[in-house]
Amino acid sequence: MDRDTIVALGTPAGESGIAVVRVSGPAAVDIVDRMAEGTRSAASHALVLRVLRDGTGAPIDEALVAVMRAPASYTGEDLVELSCHGGMQVVSDLLEEIVARGARLAGRGEFTKRAFLNGKLDLAEAEAVADLIAAETKLQRRVALEQLEGSLSRRVGECEKALLDELALVEVSIDFGEEDVPVRAAEETRRTARETRERIARLLESELPGARLRRGIRVTIVGPRNAGKSSLYNALLGEERAIVSPVPGTTRDRLCERIHIDGFTCWLEDTAGIAETGCEIETRGIDLGRAAAGRADLVLFTIDGSAEIDAGTVAENRRIDGAKVLLVINKSDLVARLAAEDIIAKLGVSEAISVSALTGAGLEELRRRIFSRTVELDAGALRRERIAVSARQADALREADAALERVEAIAGGSGAAELMSFELRAAADAFGRITGRSVSEDVLDAIFEKFCIGK
Amino acid sequence: MTKRLDMDYEVIVIGAGHAGIEAALAASRMGHETLLVTMSLEDVARMPCNPAIGGLAKGQLVREIDALGGEMALAIDETGIQFRMLNKAKGPAVWSPRAQADKQAYHRRMMAALEDQEHLTLMEGEATDIAATDEAVKGVVIGDDTLIHCNKIICCLGTFPNGVMHIGEESFPGGREGQPPSCRLADRIASLGIERGRLKTGTPARLARESIDFSRCETQPGDDVPAPFSFRTRRIDRPQAPCHITYTNERTHAAIRENLDRSPLFAGRIKGIGPRYCPSIEDKVVRFADRERHQIFLEPEGLESEEIYVNGLSTSLPRDVQERMIRTIPGLEESRIVRYGYAIEYDYYPPHQILPTLESRVVRGLYFAGQVNGTSGYEEAAAQGIVAGINAALSLEGRPAFTLGRHQAYIGVLVDDLVTKEIDEPYRMFTSSAEHRLVLRQDNADERLFRYGVRYGLLPRDLWGGTIGRRKSVARARRTLEGLSLSADTLPGSADAAGKGAQRGKIGAMDLLKRPEVRLRDLEAQIPPGTLDLDDRGRGALEISAKYEGYIARQRKFIERMIDLERMRIPEDFSYDIGALSAEARIKLAKFRPVTLGQASRISGVRSSDISILMIFLGRRRQEAGERDRAASEPLNSETDAWRDRGVSRETRPLRPRHGMS
Repeated sequence: MDRDTIVALGTPAGESGIAVVRVSGPAAVDIVDRMAEGTRSAASHALVLRVLRDGTGAPIDEALVAVMRAPASYTGEDLVELSCHGGMQVVSDLLEEIVARGARLAGRGEFTKRAFLNGKLDLAEAEAVADLIAAETKLQRRVALEQLEGSLSRRVGECEKALLDELALVEVSIDFGEEDVPVRAAEETRRTARETRERIARLLESELPGARLRRGIRVTIVGPRNAGKSSLYNALLGEERAIVSPVPGTTRDRLCERIHIDGFTCWLEDTAGIAETGCEIETRGIDLGRAAAGRADLVLFTIDGSAEIDAGTVAENRRIDGAKVLLVINKSDLVARLAAEDIIAKLGVSEAISVSALTGAGLEELRRRIFSRTVELDAGALRRERIAVSARQADALREADAALERVEAIAGGSGAAELMSFELRAAADAFGRITGRSVSEDVLDAIFEKFCIGK
Repeated sequence: MTKRLDMDYEVIVIGAGHAGIEAALAASRMGHETLLVTMSLEDVARMPCNPAIGGLAKGQLVREIDALGGEMALAIDETGIQFRMLNKAKGPAVWSPRAQADKQAYHRRMMAALEDQEHLTLMEGEATDIAATDEAVKGVVIGDDTLIHCNKIICCLGTFPNGVMHIGEESFPGGREGQPPSCRLADRIASLGIERGRLKTGTPARLARESIDFSRCETQPGDDVPAPFSFRTRRIDRPQAPCHITYTNERTHAAIRENLDRSPLFAGRIKGIGPRYCPSIEDKVVRFADRERHQIFLEPEGLESEEIYVNGLSTSLPRDVQERMIRTIPGLEESRIVRYGYAIEYDYYPPHQILPTLESRVVRGLYFAGQVNGTSGYEEAAAQGIVAGINAALSLEGRPAFTLGRHQAYIGVLVDDLVTKEIDEPYRMFTSSAEHRLVLRQDNADERLFRYGVRYGLLPRDLWGGTIGRRKSVARARRTLEGLSLSADTLPGSADAAGKGAQRGKIGAMDLLKRPEVRLRDLEAQIPPGTLDLDDRGRGALEISAKYEGYIARQRKFIERMIDLERMRIPEDFSYDIGALSAEARIKLAKFRPVTLGQASRISGVRSSDISILMIFLGRRRQEAGERDRAASEPLNSETDAWRDRGVSRETRPLRPRHGMS
């Protein structure tokens, strides 16, 4: 059930004139009051101009504040709307401050969901939602049936059964402790926990491809200075986002934007060029870039095909997991210094693609390559496991894993049966969220995430 | 022609077993003229099965009954002959007190309490009829023709409704050994439109004490320092008697197997469903054929009693087989059976027909408590008795009902299970049924429930003050420990810890106490005496709070997560004719008619999607009804909500309607 206070940006993300931040929930008024004095005493549904301050008292922004008290608000809860200046920095500072004061970032559709639960929508809408839930449940059941022969439901089911059996054995030694029943040795319980954790780990491996499909692929451009990385970045984005200049080291920050390749989401990241310089800011930028390359699903290692490949570049390339490197030889519009084969050999990569960010030559091929490389990656992983857990299922698995880790700790320490039982129950409940055994609001959450209902 | 008795009562309790006693005492102590009718005054508070009170989970129930102002704990403290705290090897959350009872002394002690009670009248006679309309009850007919008027009736009929006893090939009507069943009343209740079912239970033989060779058995003594059940008992000084343990063997099992065709259970004459957790010996031998032996406890039925109860040997085999099998057991070779074991089948009224107040949904003003609701056990019965008694009284006064949540008490779990689960075997309390077990401990029943005992006038006010006082001194002592650093070197397990590379030297005292192997007394040895200023119970509470810290906090989180569903009340006239609900949910919801959304969620066959759908329609309904429905959307009983005092403010409950919708 929702009892906490949520916050979200109500207007589309990105630069705009005005951004509206909404805070809903029991603590909404209090939180904003601590940032802008007098909010608590403000009349409902009235706009007032206030300076919003952070914890140190420093102003964040001047904003129009509207308090809408429960139940006469969109969500049916206390709701505060802050209309502030639309800069991304202001909005992110504001969100951060509100979260620091006890709110939580809202999930998708959460404001609407609260509106529903608080009876704020009309009968037709309520019935539509109820039918959707029923349909969704049927769909889930059908999916579940289809998965019945698949390995996911079998494996999850096996884990759940192992946990429930173990729980029963532990409970027997508690509830019939005085009778002539075999006492479950803590070491046995520990083994069950360990084995189940291993199974969970295998299940979680299959989350990666699934998650990648949902959240999108991280593609990071790295390479030596002045290889034209930002030009490539802009070219792939199709707009001028990064500042480009012939001066080496122009990009010192990381930049990140979303692009779509064949309906597939990519988060494209530009990084500072790699070079040994004494400049502290630049060094920091390089570090960030390396970290980004580490997290990336695919690294576009970009070099200037018209320039020499120095030892630093070779070394930098080696730092990155070769499996995720796609070598991009930029500036194909200029005279190449080395043949592509020689570059491939020198850097020890498996493939390369020549492009010109300036003319756009090779960019289409690059897009196709990005797509195939990442999709192949996922398809391969899915084939290996023949299962894929969703983010929601993965969350539940991780929760179960954490509980089982504690079971292992207790079993290895005090061996307190009632505490092992508590943790086993927590783990079994987490599995129950996947198998639908326990009551939860998963279905409702899914509905509001997937369907646009209400206002 | 029915005679009318001059005297009218506000409450009539039928049956003076463990449920009836607590019901009658609660109602009369709340100031209402109460009549307790029993078929035999000789058998008030009788224990027809084992001579013991308490046990795992049941001990918690007794502590809770006491914390509400009931009588059971006081009575067993004064008449018990062996006290043991069970599960001591495990954590304090699952400790349970148990005592062997002196059956005759227990009966006398309860009789005295009933006879001394103001506003309470005892009557011997058979209740045969209930005068009632759908809206209200009018009175009870005693014998053939005496109608006694009343406003509330509490039925605590035990195994008497249409009781049939079985020993071997013989079956005959009976409520329990030596007593007739109650048939007219049982049929009358059914004719009021209340559905009934059939259950079975059983009891073992009793042996003559002098015929047993105890030297061939293990001795099981009680605890050195008996821990009382009642928060009002200071100390137990009575002499303690031991129990004895022996075992069945292959010869015993052979004797049983050879005669299974003569068992009413296996021959199919018994139709009622028996408890899986308390099977007869013939059941055990058949189902666990590979077990070489089964444990048998020999329990005295009283200090002076010549009868020994043979716990673990419940049976309905023929008398000659009972004799044969018992004599195969070490120590019992020469034993003489004083009473034979038997099985009994009886009517019960499946509890989906009652409200969480234990009032019938079918006939208002009629309450059910104990085995008539499908439970088993003296403690389960007594717990329902006090709930029914309090609610009958509150209803007379027009006050809000008394119900306990699953997070508040085992009693809450018990009643909630009754109204949300299919009860098709005798229901017994288990600690594992209480999902919030870590906070529902026998040691803190007073902290959880005294407030209600005091509120309803069943306990003196100063008791609650004492509990608050102790809680404060525990908090003080905790702060003291938090400010102290102690040497861990001399503590138990410190050598191991040091070996594992743990830090040596001074460690925060509270952190030390969190270690499972460290006891409070180990720490106290290092600090000046009197620093903590705690009595024994306070010291126990401090230790538990340290050991369970983190867990209790997490348990509270779980509770907070579920509590909103518990608060969402479903109006009584709510129609489940909602197309989007699954067909199974529609049937089950219409059958159980849950009072809250929380209860709805616990009914088997009701899925989370059904709950989501209900939420939306309940929200709708609230909106439509606005002010008018506000009261109905209040939690069933806001009075009984201990969480109000625990920092969960009302403002953090978005699902509760605050105002009428604009």
